[in-house]
Amino acid sequence: MHNDRYVIGYAATLCVVASLLLAVASAALRGRQERMVELDRQFNVLKAFGAPVADAAGRRSVPNDEVARLYRERVREMFLDGATGEPRTNAAPSAAELERKTVLPLYLWLEDGAPAKYAFPTSGKGLWSTIYGYLALDRTLSEVVGITFYRHGETPGLGGEVERSWFQQQFAGQRIHGPNGLLRLEVAKGRVADRYPNGNPQAVDGISGATMTGNGLNGFLNEDLERYERYFSRIRKG
Amino acid sequence: MATKLKKIVLDPLSENNPVTIQILGVCSALAVTVKLQTALVMAISLTTVTAFSNLAISLLRNTIPSKIRMIVEMVVVSVLVILADQLLRAFLYDVSRQLSVFVGLIITNCIVMGRLEAFALSNPPWPSFLDGLGNGLGYSSVLIVVAAVRELLGTGALLGFRVLPESYPTNGLLLLAPGAFMVLGLLIWTQRTLAGIRKDD
Repeated sequence: MHNDRYVIGYAATLCVVASLLLAVASAALRGRQERMVELDRQFNVLKAFGAPVADAAGRRSVPNDEVARLYRERVREMFLDGATGEPRTNAAPSAAELERKTVLPLYLWLEDGAPAKYAFPTSGKGLWSTIYGYLALDRTLSEVVGITFYRHGETPGLGGEVERSWFQQQFAGQRIHGPNGLLRLEVAKGRVADRYPNGNPQAVDGISGATMTGNGLNGFLNEDLERYERYFSRIRKG
Repeated sequence: MATKLKKIVLDPLSENNPVTIQILGVCSALAVTVKLQTALVMAISLTTVTAFSNLAISLLRNTIPSKIRMIVEMVVVSVLVILADQLLRAFLYDVSRQLSVFVGLIITNCIVMGRLEAFALSNPPWPSFLDGLGNGLGYSSVLIVVAAVRELLGTGALLGFRVLPESYPTNGLLLLAPGAFMVLGLLIWTQRTLAGIRKDD
């Protein structure tokens, strides 16, 4: 039987050794982990723009270097002030500002040096979790070019279908702006064809068994569109 | 001696399989088997953690104070699991995101703790390492079979490559949790029958 001093000493030594091991591993791997996160972000922005980086199922189909190259050459980043919609010129925003959406990132897809598409991050509550994605708009800022949801904790097979390409591809070509201003995107409950027999260019088929996730999308997609509208309306006027 | 060591590795694959016979580690076996790829990575992670935690605890077994035995075990397992998780994040980012919390939850997997208590605390390092390896592989084999069935019949593909013809009507049920229960249940039944195990044994 070991005495108390031995037990305490043993526990303390074990903790120190374990902490050292983890600290070394964390320090050694951090650079690479951050690069992977950054590449994943770039991939998702490119995917929303419809760049040739993903296969039909929405998985990455090109090597990391190609993602980084395309992003470097074609995408420009800027930040807008959340309250006024004015472009911000000062230093990169903090994570907290981005999370609270007081600073809004905007990505431009350049063709021949001029912006041809616009994308922005969109996020909000689904049923169980916060859903994160990017929404890309065309040159006139009136149609959706693509959407991607890349992180969520919804039920796999139900709300989790938001990450599937069949769901995301429906958004391409949806109208978000008409002569009378901003239109509401809608994830329908059930099929668009059943709900709107005459058709509806702003609605997409919902996911069966995931009405609440759809309601969540209806909320935050439109809220985020309104946030960016202050800046977008200025671009539309030219 | 060689036959005994062989038995240590091979027993958990069938006759004493941790999942189908002892019904341990079922939670993660249900959760990560939607696709073969995630199941394979989970299988490799768990096998590595079980083998090396068995080795570490066996090496320390004569120094560990019995009062804090389990806490020491948890620390060793946690360190290995966090290392595995960090490595996955750095090198297999996509897979690590799909596995989400389940790599972290290896810490609470009964198979790991069970082998430490039942074997590593009272056996020398080399057999302990093999015991961990065998039990890890036993868990892995179940995971791989369940995941292969679910991915093949649920999506018509294996490892993302289409195997069944386009005309195959995919069965979405298999991708949901009830599908995992059914496949695992059938597997347990088949495996127990083949191993000749009856309830009253």
